Amino acid sequence: MLKRRLRTWMALVMTAMLTGLTACSGNAGEPANPNAVELKFMYWGSNDEKQAMEKMIQSFNASHTNIRVKGEHVPGDYTTKINTLMAANQLPDIAYLGDSLTMKWASEGRLLDLSSYYDEYPELKNKLKSSYLYSEPGKSIGNYTALEVMQLFYNKELFTEAGVPVPPADPQKAWTWDEFLEIAKKLTKDQNGKHPGDSGFDPKNIVQYGFAFGNDRSSWGPLLASNGGGLTDKTGKKYTLNSPESVEVFQKLQDLVFKEHVSPDLIQQQDMPSNTIRLQTRKVAMVVDGTWSLLDFSNNKQLQWSIGVLPKLKEPKTMIVAGATVIFQSTKHPKEALEFYLYHNNPEKVDLFKSGLWMPIEEKYYTDEQAIQSWTNNAAHPPEFQKAGIEYARDYAIKPSTSTLRNWPDIGSKLTPGLDLIWTNKKTPQQALDELEPIIQPLLQGVYPDE
Amino acid sequence: MKRPKSGMMRMERNWGLLFALPAILGLMIFTIGPIAASFVFSLTDWTIGGQMTFIGLDNYRTILTEDATFSQSMFVTTYYALGSVPLGLAAAFIIALLLNQKVKGLSVFRTIYYLPTIVPSIANTMLWLWMFNPDFGLLNSLLESVGLPGSKWIYDENTAIPSLIMMSTWGIGNTVIIFLAGLQSVPTHLYEAAEVDGGNRWHKFFHITIPSMTPTIFFNLVMSLISTFQAFNQAYVMTNGGPNNSTLFYVFYLWRTAFTETKIGYASALAWILFFVIMVLTVLIFSTSKKWVHYEGGERS
Repeated sequence: MLKRRLRTWMALVMTAMLTGLTACSGNAGEPANPNAVELKFMYWGSNDEKQAMEKMIQSFNASHTNIRVKGEHVPGDYTTKINTLMAANQLPDIAYLGDSLTMKWASEGRLLDLSSYYDEYPELKNKLKSSYLYSEPGKSIGNYTALEVMQLFYNKELFTEAGVPVPPADPQKAWTWDEFLEIAKKLTKDQNGKHPGDSGFDPKNIVQYGFAFGNDRSSWGPLLASNGGGLTDKTGKKYTLNSPESVEVFQKLQDLVFKEHVSPDLIQQQDMPSNTIRLQTRKVAMVVDGTWSLLDFSNNKQLQWSIGVLPKLKEPKTMIVAGATVIFQSTKHPKEALEFYLYHNNPEKVDLFKSGLWMPIEEKYYTDEQAIQSWTNNAAHPPEFQKAGIEYARDYAIKPSTSTLRNWPDIGSKLTPGLDLIWTNKKTPQQALDELEPIIQPLLQGVYPDE
Repeated sequence: MKRPKSGMMRMERNWGLLFALPAILGLMIFTIGPIAASFVFSLTDWTIGGQMTFIGLDNYRTILTEDATFSQSMFVTTYYALGSVPLGLAAAFIIALLLNQKVKGLSVFRTIYYLPTIVPSIANTMLWLWMFNPDFGLLNSLLESVGLPGSKWIYDENTAIPSLIMMSTWGIGNTVIIFLAGLQSVPTHLYEAAEVDGGNRWHKFFHITIPSMTPTIFFNLVMSLISTFQAFNQAYVMTNGGPNNSTLFYVFYLWRTAFTETKIGYASALAWILFFVIMVLTVLIFSTSKKWVHYEGGERS
């Protein structure tokens, strides 16, 4: 045992020496500036995103010889990793961060207050209002990395075959719930080709579903907002998920699965293939998904797809689902980090906007026709995107409770098991949401400021 | 009396210490240090990124008196252990008995039963995730093909833990190997003596094999109990603790408290409670062992 451990140790020492030596030899390709400031940038994302990021970092390093950014891509459990680094005081200078952790650490003073740099860097002020994250009134630690909102993706062919109109792209013309349900029924078929409501319809052998949605906040969040409901009241101190407006939303969603039979069981869905595959294999006609999926959808050449807006209950609404990029208070080079911060999600420098993964956060990309064309005039953005993407995100998007509610990490992990009772049809929404009240109410600590 | 040491001996001792130093340092820095630190953290309200305040035994008091999730995760873990430990031991013992026969292709069978143990546990978990899928999984397809109704397996509160118990028998390769080694060291002269006395196979099994195997059974019992109490991957990869907390294993709850809810102090207290529970269980098993574990040489120790 001891022997084996010794061997491990020697191997470790050797590895450490070797890596030390390699690090000294440096990257031969880049012109070495011995006085360059080194910054560490940590991020998550798919392989596509990693490649785009590496390209962006390279061009940044080439154009900013006084700064050398080192990117670190974390493919796995990002939150665990960054939590560990925070606990060990070994944070990078600048990093992606989930919105709830961003708000928590911002309020604990761990993140750089960007509003104190507004005079020096006016570009910090030209973003969409809804993308700013404030820990104290007037004190912003920055923005979402990119804007992403929830939309309705669909398989065009299935609509043509069924002879029904495709989902509207104009938020003003969003389907009401009844219109939506009617269409979803026509797009649902059992193995004999019968639809829900037909006599002899067999809900146990459905081959094609009209609609599929997930069990997380990105599916029910927009509908709650649309119906004037919510997890809490405006102050964030009173639980309101069992208010009539909120219960109605969960009742309608539960009914989609267990009463109307137009959607598959949510728990089983966890293991189903990705949304593109589900649409392509005609398992599902419509799915709710985030803007980022444009990248996957446009990579799928066999699928005729497009996007529309979500059905509304009272008002058309969608929700932002996005992470933030933050600069840590612990950085020794805040100005250099800011330079990189402003560069890293600039649509002129990063091609993740044109490929569909990201939407810009700068206001002009939503209002100026030429600027809009610069990132949307390509195959990843169907014509419907002008309304269902740009207009929807600009005028109808709300922030999710992960960004606005204090103490979200605690609340979230208590909320999920309670909602499972609805998704498994064990309880009615009214019962399940009433039972959640004594669990969630004590955790509520108010909201973060919105400006 | 102190013996004067020769120069040679001193040198040997110094070199020995030097070579052992990495291991000793490793133990101090990476094992004893964190253990001590976690105890200190468990007495504070430290959340990652926040301030640390000493709060005495408050965490322990909250866990034991107010935390419903704690009791749920304890229940889930105990339920899982009560199912998977006896089932795993019995299955491993039977397989070891079979593998101890003189049949053709024995080494192939031995390899097959050990294989799942070599496969990384996450890969195993992914594999079972597909098998359990209610719509297109292997298990439901098999059931359907013989006309039986399918199950929702890990996607239903009531069947989730039984499904995971079933899955746990997949990874018993190690236990099988230890049983096999035990079986092969049962002294043959005992069997011969039994034959001389006219004993049949069952006599041999119950009066020689089982008693001789009790130390091995004891060892495997303790080891598998400890490892089932530390179950984590199933919840992490397959169920995320759901549906409705029905698979919220203790260690998964601990991990979530530390790294999702960022409450390191509270999670440390959870860890110490788990340590205490496992210790008590182990001590209990050890104290009963005197009654049923036989060591060779005839004495019960």
